[in-house]
Amino acid sequence: MSSDDVLTVREVSKTFGRVRAVDRLSFSVARGTITGLLGRNGAGKTTTLRMINGIFLPDDGTIELFGTTDAAAVRDRIGYLPEERGLYRKMKVIDQLLFLAEIKGRRPADVKPRVEVWLKRFDLWDKRAGKLEELSKGNQQKVQLIGALLHDPEVVTLDEPMSGLDPVNVVLVRSILKELKAEGRTILLSTHMMGEAEKLVDDIVLIHEGHAVLAGDLEQVKGSFGSNTVQLAFEGDGAFLAALPGVASARVDTNVAELRLAPDSDAQAVLAAVVGRLRISHFEIAAPSLEEIFIDRVGAGVVANRPAEVVT
Amino acid sequence: MRKALAVLKREYLEVVRKKTFIIMTLILPFLMAALMFVPTLLMMKGIESKRVVVVDGTTRLQDVFGAKRLASATEPPVSRAARELGKRAQAQQGGKALELKTDYVAATGEVKAAAQPFLEQLRENDGSRPERLDGVLLIPSDAFTNTDAKLVYYSRAVSDIMTEERLANTVNQALSRERLAGRGIAAAEADHLLKRLELEGIKVSKSGEEKKGGELSFIVGFIFAALLLFPTMIHGQEVMRGIVQEKTERVVEILISSMPSFDLLSGKVMGLALVGLTQVGAWLAMGAAMAVYTGGAALVAGVNVFQFVDLRIIPWFFVFFLLGYLTFVCIYAVGGAISNSEKEAQQFMGPIMMVAMVPWMLAFPILQNPESRLATVLSLIPVFTPITMFMRMIVSEPPLWQVAISVVLSIATVVAFFWMTAKIFRVGILSYGKRPSPAELWRWLKVA
Repeated sequence: MSSDDVLTVREVSKTFGRVRAVDRLSFSVARGTITGLLGRNGAGKTTTLRMINGIFLPDDGTIELFGTTDAAAVRDRIGYLPEERGLYRKMKVIDQLLFLAEIKGRRPADVKPRVEVWLKRFDLWDKRAGKLEELSKGNQQKVQLIGALLHDPEVVTLDEPMSGLDPVNVVLVRSILKELKAEGRTILLSTHMMGEAEKLVDDIVLIHEGHAVLAGDLEQVKGSFGSNTVQLAFEGDGAFLAALPGVASARVDTNVAELRLAPDSDAQAVLAAVVGRLRISHFEIAAPSLEEIFIDRVGAGVVANRPAEVVT
Repeated sequence: MRKALAVLKREYLEVVRKKTFIIMTLILPFLMAALMFVPTLLMMKGIESKRVVVVDGTTRLQDVFGAKRLASATEPPVSRAARELGKRAQAQQGGKALELKTDYVAATGEVKAAAQPFLEQLRENDGSRPERLDGVLLIPSDAFTNTDAKLVYYSRAVSDIMTEERLANTVNQALSRERLAGRGIAAAEADHLLKRLELEGIKVSKSGEEKKGGELSFIVGFIFAALLLFPTMIHGQEVMRGIVQEKTERVVEILISSMPSFDLLSGKVMGLALVGLTQVGAWLAMGAAMAVYTGGAALVAGVNVFQFVDLRIIPWFFVFFLLGYLTFVCIYAVGGAISNSEKEAQQFMGPIMMVAMVPWMLAFPILQNPESRLATVLSLIPVFTPITMFMRMIVSEPPLWQVAISVVLSIATVVAFFWMTAKIFRVGILSYGKRPSPAELWRWLKVA
């Protein structure tokens, strides 16, 4: 953990009744990066984010933010987008946003110009005087996101930021998050959508059963899994791919497949075997996708409490 | 603190902008007035349209009932007080008293036999006949001589105590006069002897001031007790509902991640307290406007309306209002914080509110006997003290040390409740799932 870390989670545990939601979790987030908190449903992502935001106190361990463990002292410097919508349904959009900024220590008059900029950017300016409940789910999510950003936080924590958004808004939010990063802000987002994380994050922390099982720079993590994966796009019936000689395992979808090669097999031989049976439009020898890694590490049969493998 | 103010502002504006709040504030005074006076009016109306047959075995009471209409002898206290006010303001038009239609029958033989046809009619009278009959009064022939004789009143409803009392009064008055006449006292003199005097209550105070009292200050006491209690209950519900809603809508996560729970709670409670003050302030202003309007007319007639209400009590009203309000709103906030739905919260609050209502349920004895042990003790028990003490202050002048104890006790209660509420609130507001047991609540109090 370097001195450039803005957030450090050390050996944190949290138990609800008999459920151990977070179990000796440790990871750190470097300033100015986008870090993805990955894991299956119920892995402990949301509880972790809530603890970072001072909503729950850890039973054990410490969370250090901006060099202090006093969550109350730094709560105005962090922004939080909860997983479920947390807004007043009967309140006008603009009043709501000003209120959210105010409870994060900003004067309404100071943030007003920024409210306008954000609402226009998210195409919600016309709806500013409407009540929140009149908005679609996606639009409510956008209001919530503005609320998390209005007070100009240095660290932004987002719990499933893309949920409920249509593809156009997903692209918009993605570009906004990259802008925030370019401004030097640090972003920690949780998601179980690996494809989304792959496009966005610099670092990953993969959580399983409350414990970090894999953490580090995304490219390095992928590199460590070796370049023994073939990604294939094709036309035709690819059902036979898994049974090819030299293929250890395969995930075959309609017109795309990801083949994990056996340690000593040759990708060219596999290509040769495929040509003629399918119309190939794309053939790539690559590191495994995040999704593949995810399933490999936290799919069925994962041993709990295995020490996190940190890739550096 | 600024965050607490932000919450205060939000809570205040949300409630005050609601249509229900505006409508309630505007019409509740009229509604209350209607609730007090309409039943009385209906009752008086009910009497006026009644017809009673009087079968007189003595045959000597023709003069009394011959007038056909019976002047009022009894009225419910509320209407009497209203009339009292009206009389003093000289607003009473024509002095129209209550009247009862009576038909007089002199029975020379057996009274019961003479009454038989009317009793038949009464028995069969189901409202289908044009001829109305509500009751039959039997005066025994030995009414003048036998002191154990009984007047008998037959009617389809035995609950009509007002009519019964009126009839009894009228007959007794006539009997007394007849008995006096039997001793050689002239009718005019008999009337003079039998003349009843009216009683006027005057409230004395240490300052030597004298105030007219009676039923009106009793009613004023009730009105102020209601003003203390009902806004608290209405807006306490509002606090509770708001917290439950924040929980179900998960706004609470955002709030708790942004501010200390103590700031959140104080912002909420103070915001709603301000709502309550706004509302009773508006009501008092409306009352004052009405008093000035009617008082202006009364003043011309040389009557001071303010003799019924000591204006110096108004600041005390706001003191006790705030103390009572903060006590109960804290309890409501706990109810909201530990519940997952409004229904659940209401179940939790039910028994607690029954306790809170005790001074209201005992308002009658307290107002009637403000120096009694019951009133004194109740006004020195935390939770009950704000309402009880203020009721006592309206109708009498409790010792200053008792008022001081009441205020100090109330402040201590509010601080203690607030402290406990903040702790339970911090844990409860984030708990979803089963409502905590009392044992769990106790644990929260200790650890949070």
